Amino acid sequence: MRIKIVLLIWVLLVSVIGADEKNANDQSRGWEMPSSVQALIRQYCADCHGAGDEVRLDGFLGMKQENRLALLNKVQDQLFFGLMPPEDHEQPAKVERSILSDWVAAELDRYQASDLNAKLRKPGFGNYIDHDKLFSGQYRKLKGFTYDRRWLISETIFDAKFNRLLNHRPFQTIDGQREFVVGDNNRRVNLTNPFLLPPHTGVRYYANTTLNGGHLLTMITNAKEAAKYMVYLTKRDKRYLPAVDLIMKREWEHEGLLASRESFLNQFIDRVLQELYEDKHDALLPEFVPTILKVTSSPDGKPIKRSPFHAAQPGQQELVLIFQTMQRYQREGDTDAQLIEKCEKEWFRFGHNERKITARLTFLAGYLEDFRKQIEQHRYKQKYRPPVYRAPSSDEMAVISASLFKHRRKGDRYNEIIGRCIEDWKRGFEQERHAAGLPPQEAIDALVSELFMKIFERLPAAKEAGQYALLTRDYIKSLGNLPAIEKLIQTLILRSEFVYRSEFGQGEKDEFGRRMLSPRDASFALAYALTDSSPDRELLAAAQNGKLTTKADYEREVKRLLQKTDQYYVIDEAVQRIQLSASITNTPIRKLRFFREFFGYYKMLSIFKDNKRFGSHYDNAKGRLVAEADRLVDYILKQDSHVFEKLLTTEDFYVFHSGDNEAMTKSSERIRKIYDYFKDLDWQNFKPADLQKHRPFIEEVQLRGMRFNDLQRSLRTFNTIMTSFTARFDKGQTAAAPFVSFPAHGAYNASTRTGLQLRSPEVARFFNIELDHWDYPAIQPDQVPNRKGLLTHPAWLIAHAQNTATDPVQRGKWVREKLLAGTVPDIPITVDAVIPEDHHKTLRARLVAVTEKKECWKCHQRMNPLGYAFEMYDDFGRFRTMESLEHPDNLIQKNPEKGGVYEDLRDIYKTLPVNAQGSLEGTGDPRLDGKVENAIDLAGRLAKSSRVRQSIIRYAFRYFMGRNEYLSDSKTLLDADQAYLQSGGSFDAVIVSLLTSDSFIYRKEPGE
Amino acid sequence: MATRRSFLKLSALSAGAVAMAPSRDELFAGSPPPGQPRRFVFIRKSNGIRPREIALPSFGNREKELDEKKQPVDVDLEKHELPTWLRALDDHKKHLTLLNGLSCKMSENGHWSYSSVMGAYKSGRNSLSGIKRATIDFEVAKLFPSPFGHVELSLTGNYSSFRTGIVAGYSAPGPHQRNYCYADPQTAFNELFKSVTDPGAVDSDNAMLSFLQGEESFKSATIQGYEKLKISNHINSIKAIQHRNKKLQKLAGSIAQHLPEIAPVHADGGINASTPEKQDAMTAILISALVTGLTNVVTYTIDELSTPVRGLPGNEGDRISIHELGHNGGYSGVSADRIREKIRIGHVQQVARIVESLKKVPEGEGNMFDNTVILYFPENGEGHHSHGTEAPFVVLAGDNCRLDIAGRYIRLPYHATEGHKTIGNWYTTLLNAHGNPIKHYGDLDLEMSRKKFDQVGAIKSFLG
Repeated sequence: MRIKIVLLIWVLLVSVIGADEKNANDQSRGWEMPSSVQALIRQYCADCHGAGDEVRLDGFLGMKQENRLALLNKVQDQLFFGLMPPEDHEQPAKVERSILSDWVAAELDRYQASDLNAKLRKPGFGNYIDHDKLFSGQYRKLKGFTYDRRWLISETIFDAKFNRLLNHRPFQTIDGQREFVVGDNNRRVNLTNPFLLPPHTGVRYYANTTLNGGHLLTMITNAKEAAKYMVYLTKRDKRYLPAVDLIMKREWEHEGLLASRESFLNQFIDRVLQELYEDKHDALLPEFVPTILKVTSSPDGKPIKRSPFHAAQPGQQELVLIFQTMQRYQREGDTDAQLIEKCEKEWFRFGHNERKITARLTFLAGYLEDFRKQIEQHRYKQKYRPPVYRAPSSDEMAVISASLFKHRRKGDRYNEIIGRCIEDWKRGFEQERHAAGLPPQEAIDALVSELFMKIFERLPAAKEAGQYALLTRDYIKSLGNLPAIEKLIQTLILRSEFVYRSEFGQGEKDEFGRRMLSPRDASFALAYALTDSSPDRELLAAAQNGKLTTKADYEREVKRLLQKTDQYYVIDEAVQRIQLSASITNTPIRKLRFFREFFGYYKMLSIFKDNKRFGSHYDNAKGRLVAEADRLVDYILKQDSHVFEKLLTTEDFYVFHSGDNEAMTKSSERIRKIYDYFKDLDWQNFKPADLQKHRPFIEEVQLRGMRFNDLQRSLRTFNTIMTSFTARFDKGQTAAAPFVSFPAHGAYNASTRTGLQLRSPEVARFFNIELDHWDYPAIQPDQVPNRKGLLTHPAWLIAHAQNTATDPVQRGKWVREKLLAGTVPDIPITVDAVIPEDHHKTLRARLVAVTEKKECWKCHQRMNPLGYAFEMYDDFGRFRTMESLEHPDNLIQKNPEKGGVYEDLRDIYKTLPVNAQGSLEGTGDPRLDGKVENAIDLAGRLAKSSRVRQSIIRYAFRYFMGRNEYLSDSKTLLDADQAYLQSGGSFDAVIVSLLTSDSFIYRKEPGE
Repeated sequence: MATRRSFLKLSALSAGAVAMAPSRDELFAGSPPPGQPRRFVFIRKSNGIRPREIALPSFGNREKELDEKKQPVDVDLEKHELPTWLRALDDHKKHLTLLNGLSCKMSENGHWSYSSVMGAYKSGRNSLSGIKRATIDFEVAKLFPSPFGHVELSLTGNYSSFRTGIVAGYSAPGPHQRNYCYADPQTAFNELFKSVTDPGAVDSDNAMLSFLQGEESFKSATIQGYEKLKISNHINSIKAIQHRNKKLQKLAGSIAQHLPEIAPVHADGGINASTPEKQDAMTAILISALVTGLTNVVTYTIDELSTPVRGLPGNEGDRISIHELGHNGGYSGVSADRIREKIRIGHVQQVARIVESLKKVPEGEGNMFDNTVILYFPENGEGHHSHGTEAPFVVLAGDNCRLDIAGRYIRLPYHATEGHKTIGNWYTTLLNAHGNPIKHYGDLDLEMSRKKFDQVGAIKSFLG
């Protein structure tokens, strides 16, 4: 009944989203309530909402405008969500209800005051649009469109945008090749990303959000940092921003000249002064004052551990300087003290900082021998040859010499002389530039155009060009060239155009008032639909050459982008950091990200869990678990056949696998080979000499940690390795998982696709696999018992669990909303959602006690029966038949806190049997709805449901359109559904269908 | 149309904005509560504080035994001698608390904790997405808005040289966000006191904002509906920042009066400045930032494992690695323990200087320190390679700070035993005491959860 009411009202609200804009100016009309509405209120509402009630509907006319609009909003909400009149009261007829709703909507729209309109734009309210109606075909004839809009950039577009702007092109080694990756945010310039997406599952990036003070404040600092860096980049390579270089040319030439003179003098001033002053030189030198080092000793005379060389050395630059000075004065027969004194005298004469000299002397006093070894080991002599004297041109030498004569005084240290010369030259250069005046107008115009192109990827319109040229002149006049350029860059970055994507129609309107996206906006919309980056070369060319004007054009470009696999993306930087898991893909990132966010399994990363309850190192394993869930989704997407069904029912998973079957097979077979070679030998009692006997084999298989110049130590390592390998085979296992046998840096046994050590075999525990009892499948994904689809993947189960317990309510809510296109009202503020503690009952039993009361069950019946099915897994996603009643009173066996990788450190508690029975209602298919045995049964049924398929397509629509669907999008959804069915379950076909739909291509002006 | 002020509040409160927006705007847009603002100084140090280092040397046998067995202890500091490294605070015992026995297992432990020690979550090895919530300093900053909202300073490096300029900080204004941080005294000085030291730069900022406002207003005039709202919000954001800049300009008189003196050695990042000199200068800036009213909250990373220590008294010529000290490496014949103590002595001298400076500034019927809480604490708990079972705090709180802990050495029950408190409880206490009624701040300790100990909420006995 309630759904029907919602349907009815929705028909009235089909045009609501635009109506507020249409009616916005109609405020001149006075307040009035038509008699038909008055009659309906009297008949259906006044009994309860009259005098004495908190919500009174009898006093509309006398109310202040603000209160009246607030009351109308309440009424609209109650009508829309079918909450009033209450079920046990007389109900209005459809027509009556529409009269009432229509009037309320019109009144609120007059003042743009409808909260419902705003609410219905929000992600959480997408499912309030009736599913059956959308897919009934009844609304197929409505013409799809999206309103012209600006769309605030996302956190990932922010990164890509700045990476492009700041030439940040990070590379990773992937499968042995150096590949450029998109999505790395480890830039040299420090930026804070203010455009964060909400953390919920489903669709996170909507076009509703607007910029606020917090965003802008952060962007001001970002703009300053970026501007500085852009100027720096130009200075390094003028091709980056030639117009900036042109304006700065003279200033930078002067800087270059100063730097070259300074560098020359810093290296050769001694020689130059000797040549200039000849025999008078020595008399002008400063009087040497030696540094006195304090000698400290241990107060109690006990030996003190001395810091090693690497922790005491003063930095690489200093080491090179010390080495080069030593080189200059090293004479055979000299003592170390004599050498150090000569060095010190040079540093003193040059006027090096007193503290630096002290630090060098302290270092030499304690570490000279170590340093000499380093010099040999790191081939300093070859790497850091003494500078070769090359005299500047005669003109330049004349300038330098004149300045030295002018500024040298008796007793000066060299740095003082150089400082005065530089200051003098600098002043002269400044005067020269000042006399040259402002840059010419053409240079300013070129600067504006160039920065527009760099920042907005377009040239300025004539009016913009004029305004910005004027602004630039003002900046230059008040600030000078360099700060003015930086300020101009900041100004452009702070424009709304930088932080909003633009999606506007262009050209003639069709008969339905729609216009096609402008080709430029279309190129960005398509690029951002599938990637985080702005359009690639082909897409830009298509936009510029009139090749983005038909659906066929769109289809061609979308298909091209979907097939493009030469670009790698970082999926999740957090996953990469945890135990160095590779988190990369060459699937267009937004395609993979849809399912990642839809299922939301990555959210497990923020759920903090107890190592002890996991029985091993949970924090180590969680990154790998998410990475392997990503890989599974990627694998299914790459097959692109029956994608939804496979995601929901696959029985094959990745567990401790790099994704490279060949490499993993090789790694696993290597361990088998080593084990087979030694297993029948008495390796446990090997003597060091025995290792020598097997040296050819050990070298052939490159056994880690074997050093034949230290056989005793190698033997210990060998034993560790063989003990570990034996544990992987001694129960008749068919193959060994190639994890490391002992902690060490570097890749060994197996590596990730990015060439790092493949870590965290503990990930197997999530799948109830014991590392010392595992027939390791090197070819993956491979079948894992008691699992079916992503909803049984431990990452999804943990992401939808609490820190210490499962969460049937959250899991059920996810299924209801994401797969059954259903709705669950927000939890009432009066409800304290806490499951009572009772360590004699299972969590389900405790949940039943608090959620199956009549007043709670109304909502919980939409979630609990679905969520109960997942009770066959614990909150780590491990399959179980018994639930552990974790409470100190139920403790049966305490296990150690720490242990090896094979040990299960969990304490053992009393248990109770798990009841994972639930029920499925809401597929609309009587063959599927009904009692389910467990999550595996549930997953199988869900995968067969048309409603589930359509629900995923609705979310895909929201993801690619950045908004909720309306009835006018019915055709778009139907077409996408058909595209999926007719293509044998291709998600690419769904994407092509959506991105070539009227809903995507056509735009209307707000108010149309 | 929302007013500028209400816009900022609304933008922070609307559903979309809550999800998307950083909470930074709340720091300067809100109205401060009536009365004197409270001020908070968070000073983070590296290499842990070993619990025995904070124990009182004058403990009686019983107290010593309890403390060593990690049993609860509560003694009056006036009757005791402070450990050597804390002696600079001898004159401030009345306001001092040595808080031992808190744990921080829910934050990242080991060598580093990044943002996590101030957010009570695991940071995922400093990944951006590992930042789970606004850190405690940002939470208290929201309670006491100020023109700058929050200031972060740090002295960190790459073992041989210091970082300089504006760098990524450790505090977090919101989930998945890193704060900006001033990494050398000169940069901090230039940026914070710009309205006095470089009014031209402020004027040019304002000129830029005015231009942008005009340009966006022009766009706004040609559109309607929800799209108009987007541009209006952009304009309102610009106006809000202009308003904040005006507030800053109004403080110019106060800034000029309290402008710190920064020695020339700090110019251009201060490559030749010693570590104690850098600390001195940062302290001067920190004090001025508070005294001028630029901010009510400062977070200061006084060192980190990669901070080079140069010019330490007694080891003037050594380039000391704090990391190496954690591995017990000595320098120039001085043991690691002794150097660690000297480093702490240097830190505490800075803390004492902040206390003394604020006590000299009149405020209300007392002085500025009356309204200030200073927390000096390790970023990673109880040692160089810590587990987070203990996280000692040195606290100095003025008389008006609503914390009933002053003048005491307090050791709380040990981790994962009845009555134990975590940094989450401690931060909740700070928030509850100063107007945020949050039930619990931070992640829970999972061993406490497993053992079914109550661990939610403030430390009630600490609430004044």
